[in-house]
Amino acid sequence: MKVEVISTHRGGMWSWLFQRITAVLLIVCLAIHLILTHIANIGQIDMDNIGARLANHGLTAVDIILLAAGVFHALNGLRNVLMDYWFSSRTRALWLTIGLWVIGLVAFGYGIWALWPWIG
Amino acid sequence: MSSKPRETANVGTGLWKATGMWAWLLFRISGLILVFYLGAHILVISTSRWSAAGKTLNDLMKTFDNPLMVLLDLALVVAVLYHALNGVRIILLDLGIGVKRHKLMFWSAMAVVVVCFGVFAYVAFTFIATGAGVSW
Repeated sequence: MKVEVISTHRGGMWSWLFQRITAVLLIVCLAIHLILTHIANIGQIDMDNIGARLANHGLTAVDIILLAAGVFHALNGLRNVLMDYWFSSRTRALWLTIGLWVIGLVAFGYGIWALWPWIG
Repeated sequence: MSSKPRETANVGTGLWKATGMWAWLLFRISGLILVFYLGAHILVISTSRWSAAGKTLNDLMKTFDNPLMVLLDLALVVAVLYHALNGVRIILLDLGIGVKRHKLMFWSAMAVVVVCFGVFAYVAFTFIATGAGVSW
C-alpha cells in the first residue's frame, strides 16, 4: 500500500494537540462573538454597547477565552509557518518558541488591560 | 472508488492539481491574515483606555460604519469562515472521519462557508443600504 505523508507535524505533539483544543474553543466562542457583534449589534458598537454585553459574566468568559485561545492559536500557527521557512533548525526553533511565548503573554496581558474598563 | 488510475502522483508540479494543496495554501494565507487581524483587534479594543470615558474607541467605532470598512469586515468574515470550516475538515480527517471522501469533505465544508457568508453578507449589505441592521 502506498502511503502519502502530507504533514509530519514537526511542531511537536503538544503544539498539535493544543492547536486543536483551542480551535474547538475558538469555533464555539467566535460564533457567539460574531453573531453578537456583526449581526445583532452591527453599527451600534461603542463603550456602552460593549459594556451592556460584558455585564453578562458568561460573555465576559467568552471574551477572555477568545483572547487566550486566540493568541495561543494565532502564535502557535505562526510558529508552524515560520518553522517551515526561516526557523527550521533546532536552535532557531527554540528561540522562535521563546520569542512567541513572550509576545503571547504580553499580548494577553495587554488584552486584559484593554478589557478592564468593562470587566474590572 | 474510481477504477481510473491517477495520472499524476502528488509530487512536484502535480501536487498543485490536488484540491488539498489549494486548501492548504488558502488555510495558511487566511491564518496569516487572521494573526495580523487579531493584533490589530487587540490594539483597537485597547483604545478603550486611550482617553477619558473611551472617547477614542467611540470615535473609532463610528469610522468603522462607513461602507468600505463594512466590506473589509465582510472580507474578514470570509477569512474566518474558510479557516474555521477547513479547520473542522482537518480535525475530522485527524479523527479518521471521511478519509476516503477527501473531496466530498472539502466541498461540504465550502458549502457551509457559503451559507454562513450569505447570512453575514445579507446583514452587511442591509446595513450599507439602510444604515440599520436586520431585525429577525
